[in-house]
Amino acid sequence: MKTKKKHGTGLLLVVVAVYLLIPLVFTFLYSLFREWMDILPSSFTLNAYGEILGDSVFWLSVGRTLIISIIPIFICMVIVLLAMYVVVVYHPEWDKYMKLLCTMPYAIQGVILPICVLALYADAPEPFSNRIFMLTSTYCIVVLPYIYQGVRNNLNGMNVKGLLEAAQMLGAGQFYSFFRIIVPNITNGIIISSMLAMAIVFGDFVVINMLAGNYFPTAQMYVYEIMKKSSQKTCAAIMILFTVTLLISMFVFLRGADSQKQDEEN
Amino acid sequence: MQSKRYLLAGFPFILLAGMFEVLPVLTTIIKSFRPEGGGFGLTLEHYVAVFTKPLYVSAIRNSLLISAASAAIGLLVAFAAGRAACERGGSVKKLFMSILNMVSNFSGVPLAFSFIILFGNAGVVTILGRSLGIQSLAEFPLYTIWGLMLTYIYFQIPLATLLLIPAFDSIRREWREAVNIMGGNDRIFWRKVGIPVLLPSLLGTFSTLFANAISAYATAYALLMNNYSILPIRIAEQFKGDIVQRPEFGSALAVVLMLIMVCSMGITQRVAGMTGGKKA
Repeated sequence: MKTKKKHGTGLLLVVVAVYLLIPLVFTFLYSLFREWMDILPSSFTLNAYGEILGDSVFWLSVGRTLIISIIPIFICMVIVLLAMYVVVVYHPEWDKYMKLLCTMPYAIQGVILPICVLALYADAPEPFSNRIFMLTSTYCIVVLPYIYQGVRNNLNGMNVKGLLEAAQMLGAGQFYSFFRIIVPNITNGIIISSMLAMAIVFGDFVVINMLAGNYFPTAQMYVYEIMKKSSQKTCAAIMILFTVTLLISMFVFLRGADSQKQDEEN
Repeated sequence: MQSKRYLLAGFPFILLAGMFEVLPVLTTIIKSFRPEGGGFGLTLEHYVAVFTKPLYVSAIRNSLLISAASAAIGLLVAFAAGRAACERGGSVKKLFMSILNMVSNFSGVPLAFSFIILFGNAGVVTILGRSLGIQSLAEFPLYTIWGLMLTYIYFQIPLATLLLIPAFDSIRREWREAVNIMGGNDRIFWRKVGIPVLLPSLLGTFSTLFANAISAYATAYALLMNNYSILPIRIAEQFKGDIVQRPEFGSALAVVLMLIMVCSMGITQRVAGMTGGKKA
């Protein structure tokens, strides 16, 4: 009876896993064969990968994606840490307002935030109507919840008050002790939440398409454009980008597991 | 004065959140009451149009339907799979979670495209169905609500399961043993203990899935373009696209979507709070 049930749960997991893997596996196979007119594909080739990797337009779009996913996350992280300094050291009672502002992007996720920004700033004077400026600031808001949650969780996990008091007794200023003692202690959390945010911006299509698709074509826009031309090349591009995203999220996963282990050991 | 200088550190945050979060949302709400073409005064005409014109009524209905259905199905699958993974535990659970983590990155335009090469007119499954003579596979209506539903369910399952697994982890083996000792079977355990304990997580997950689906844009945009009317696509085309741009009307549509999101979050929080209170 017990083993029969175990088989049942195992089968269920296999079915779900297979269902989830089918689109990925077929995208991969599709990228490797020139023709798929019958049950089995024919003419194996790596040409699609060669063409994509040799296409300077592709590399430019990947470069743009990297720039636009790193800069806003960096800006957002610095801003959140500065605000967190005020909240943690001076006004803990303000945390609920900060939390509200930082979780609001969940309620305006997807298409809402970019159209709100677009409607407000499209006709505004420079630099606000500059598409890159709009894009950078919108991504800052998109990643805000993840950055805030990451920093907050890590701060909750340590004795901030005790450390600050100790540093103060030894003569360190508040600003110095927050940024030279507290922040280095949460570096791991900062890196993990930044990478998580990066994976999100990396996969974004709605914000870029609404705000700056033509001005600043990123890798996602490249996939969308090439989709109309060649299926095989599209699949190859999708697989390359997917691998990059996977590497980023694997990094997050491993780093996260490491820090958890460290916590348990301590 | 000197002692308040630390407040400067909070200034960039206020500036960022104010200018690109609060202000855009507020102006969108105000704009939704403004007459078209920049006239003076306030009007409800856009909201009247949203709720009377068939095109937009059907967009709202389709969005609600597809989000609720895909969230419910995703949650059901996640419940079964999460329970199974936690019962097995060990390396099976680890492997399963790695797969979930991996496919949760597969979304948006790439996801839509992979469904096109599977179920589209020249798709692999379509060809397979044709050569094996299976009509339902050969003629899967990908570019309709059914295709959209299939892709939405696909991205809901990994998200839902990853959100539910921690909740399943919190169910203690002793509880089930206690139920068994008192003569209850598995079904009684889940009905009387398991599901009530999990209810707040289940509701929270449902609301996350619902919000995720109702605001999703990329998958539908890449798969359907204008073949099927859903709210995010209708909103986007008021601001950008081939037809005449109508920002005031688009703002009203966006406010409706925002209200739906806030309501779904509010309701689940309320219900979760109520059951939490009863437990204590």
